[in-house]
Amino acid sequence: MKGKKKKFNISTLWQYYAMLVPGVVLTFIFSYIPLYGVIIAFEKYNVGMGFNSPWVGLENFRYLFSQPTFTRTIWNTLFISVWKLALGIIVPVTIAVLLNEMRSDKLKRFYQTLIYIPNFLSWIIMAGVLMDILSSTGAINTILAKLGMGTVNFLGDAKVFPWTMIVSDVWKGFGYGTIVYLAALLGIDPSLYESAMLDGATRWQQIKNITIPLLMPTIILMTVLSLGSVLNAGFDQVYNLYSPAVWETGDIIDTYVYRLGIQQAQYSVGAAVGLFKSLVSAIMVVTSYRLADKLAGYRIL
Amino acid sequence: MASLTLKNIKKIYPFSSDEQKKAKKKKDDEPEKKQVNLQITDEGVVAVQEFSLDIADKEFIVLVGPSGCGKSTTLRMIAGLEDISGGELYIGDKLVNDVAPKDRDIAMVFQNYALYPHMTVYENLAFALKLRRIPKDEIDIKVREAATVLDIMQYLDRKPKALSGGQRQRVAIGRYIVREPQVMLMDEPLSNLDAKLRNQMRAEIIKLRNTIDTTFIYVTHDQTEAMTLGDRIVIMKDGFIQQIGTPQVVFNHPYNIFVATFIGTPQMNLFENAELLKNNGRYSVKLGDYTVELSEDKQAALSAKNVAAQPVTLGVRPEHISLSAGGIDAKVDVTEMMGSSVHLHVDAFGQDVILIVSTLNMTQKELDSLNHGTDVRFDFPGNVCHLFSKETGINLEA
Ligand SMILES: Nc1ncnc2c1ncn2[C@@H]1O[C@H](COP(=O)(O)OP(=O)(O)OP(=O)(O)O)[C@@H](O)[C@H]1O
Ligand SMILES: [Mg+2]
Repeated sequence: MKGKKKKFNISTLWQYYAMLVPGVVLTFIFSYIPLYGVIIAFEKYNVGMGFNSPWVGLENFRYLFSQPTFTRTIWNTLFISVWKLALGIIVPVTIAVLLNEMRSDKLKRFYQTLIYIPNFLSWIIMAGVLMDILSSTGAINTILAKLGMGTVNFLGDAKVFPWTMIVSDVWKGFGYGTIVYLAALLGIDPSLYESAMLDGATRWQQIKNITIPLLMPTIILMTVLSLGSVLNAGFDQVYNLYSPAVWETGDIIDTYVYRLGIQQAQYSVGAAVGLFKSLVSAIMVVTSYRLADKLAGYRIL
Repeated sequence: MASLTLKNIKKIYPFSSDEQKKAKKKKDDEPEKKQVNLQITDEGVVAVQEFSLDIADKEFIVLVGPSGCGKSTTLRMIAGLEDISGGELYIGDKLVNDVAPKDRDIAMVFQNYALYPHMTVYENLAFALKLRRIPKDEIDIKVREAATVLDIMQYLDRKPKALSGGQRQRVAIGRYIVREPQVMLMDEPLSNLDAKLRNQMRAEIIKLRNTIDTTFIYVTHDQTEAMTLGDRIVIMKDGFIQQIGTPQVVFNHPYNIFVATFIGTPQMNLFENAELLKNNGRYSVKLGDYTVELSEDKQAALSAKNVAAQPVTLGVRPEHISLSAGGIDAKVDVTEMMGSSVHLHVDAFGQDVILIVSTLNMTQKELDSLNHGTDVRFDFPGNVCHLFSKETGINLEA
């Protein structure tokens, strides 16, 4: 970086900078000052001594990575969140394309609203609902039993639990993605379809040759932007639905940190995990932003 | 390459929502002057009706008319993009009312070109052929052939975004050349181009027409395009055909006042206070104190219909009026210097009359004298008078 291209000109731009001040100050007070607290990740924290606790360097991290529980939570997190990410794109895109093919505007709007509603419910409520319908005597198992397929312990079986998380999360959230993709579809010039029709394209060929390619930039953008949160597998959801029986496959970084830090009062280790996660996320955000720029021409500035 | 027959074609756009219906009710209650006098019925908006036209193989038909008169609707019905509400549409001798667009073998150039933005020019040209599962090398030959004709060879690898308006236009046309469709439809293909490019592309379309020998239906609201391109012109208004004829016919024998004023620039002058006289079987027209005997062909036409003497609306084109020693008194209002001619706006009988005066035989002094307030006189011969019925607005000769 050699020299600034634009001269900073406070005399003409000061109004803009003035508008920026409150935001910067608040961010500084509430986000940057507390950052000082991360030093406890490098200390053997002791409530009595506070931030002046003895310095241990990277000891906490060493301890963490030697814990098989912790490495296990990383894999669990990745497994759940990558699947959520993948299905979180495939499902909304498919539904959006299907909805877009619908002739009746009224029905289209109805479905749109219907699938968006779960998005507004918190996981606390959703967890209650899920526990009920997924229980051994719940709606789903009753149906499965009637169909002669036996019952499934959705929340208690370690093999099934991650999938319960993935599917229920996609189910709760796909309405939002669908709306984003529907909006992108609205932006496609209808005369392209008419043109394709006259060129001899069937419905399916229109979807394949026009809809999907023109949706691609949005798909890439959404994918890349969500890469930044790949270490967030959904604390609210998992915490409200898991149990020690499924820790083996269902314990994710966030729930682990929570138990460690808050419940077992191992503040230092908890802070270390949090710091590790933030670091990975920061790297992911930066990389994904670069990728978004490269693949989809997306830029914030 | 096929003939086309439209029989009493009709298009009704059904109301899409209750609101429109309510709006219609309101309109029924308090009739007010609407800009577009489309018929609004209980079923919906009638965009096109009583549209009957026989189009010969390889003919170039131009649909022309003011905005909202149903040109695009007609074109889209032919293409199959809109359902036909009534009447019959034949391509060749096959009834195609219910044939899907992709099976009609029709190509259409859209106003915004509708190029596939994610495909290169080459892919755009090849798309229709690819869907037809034509072998790759054959596609390649056809694409390159069309690209050569349209002079877009060097752009084959570009995306449409990287092309100028004129180049996009060529690609849009090229997409259909490769297909060799039976009928080629164009919906205002030149309206997005600037004046110069438009003239150039117009010439190219004329050239193209000679190379690709197919039936053309061309929509425009530009009457110059209509006059220069069409074998026959269909003039529409409010969903009805006003006149069908060669450029010559619609210019010289406009069927009604609408056609008379729509075709020709500047617009034809209309005099409401004229009178058709009949003396000893000879017709003449009287405007103020000026009387002129009609030409023989007009005499014949009027006699054949045994038209009675009556007050008429007289139409005379600006290029047919000349300054004269005698004739009608007028005062110069505005002069528009056009180079080889002057458009003279004069005031006569309290109305604006335009006449075109050639500057060829005028001295600068004479020109300079034609400024605001100058008294002039003008007249016109008997062969350029268009007489329209006061009641119906229809040409009395028709
Ligand atoms: N989808 C539609 N629903 C209802 N009315 C429509 C629809 N499309 C067109 N119309 C109406 O039908 C009439 C004819 O429209 P059309 O598009 O054929 O006009 P046009 O002659 O092509 O005009 P322009 O020169 O502006 O393109 C218009 O008054 C328009 O309001
Ligand atoms: Mg139109």
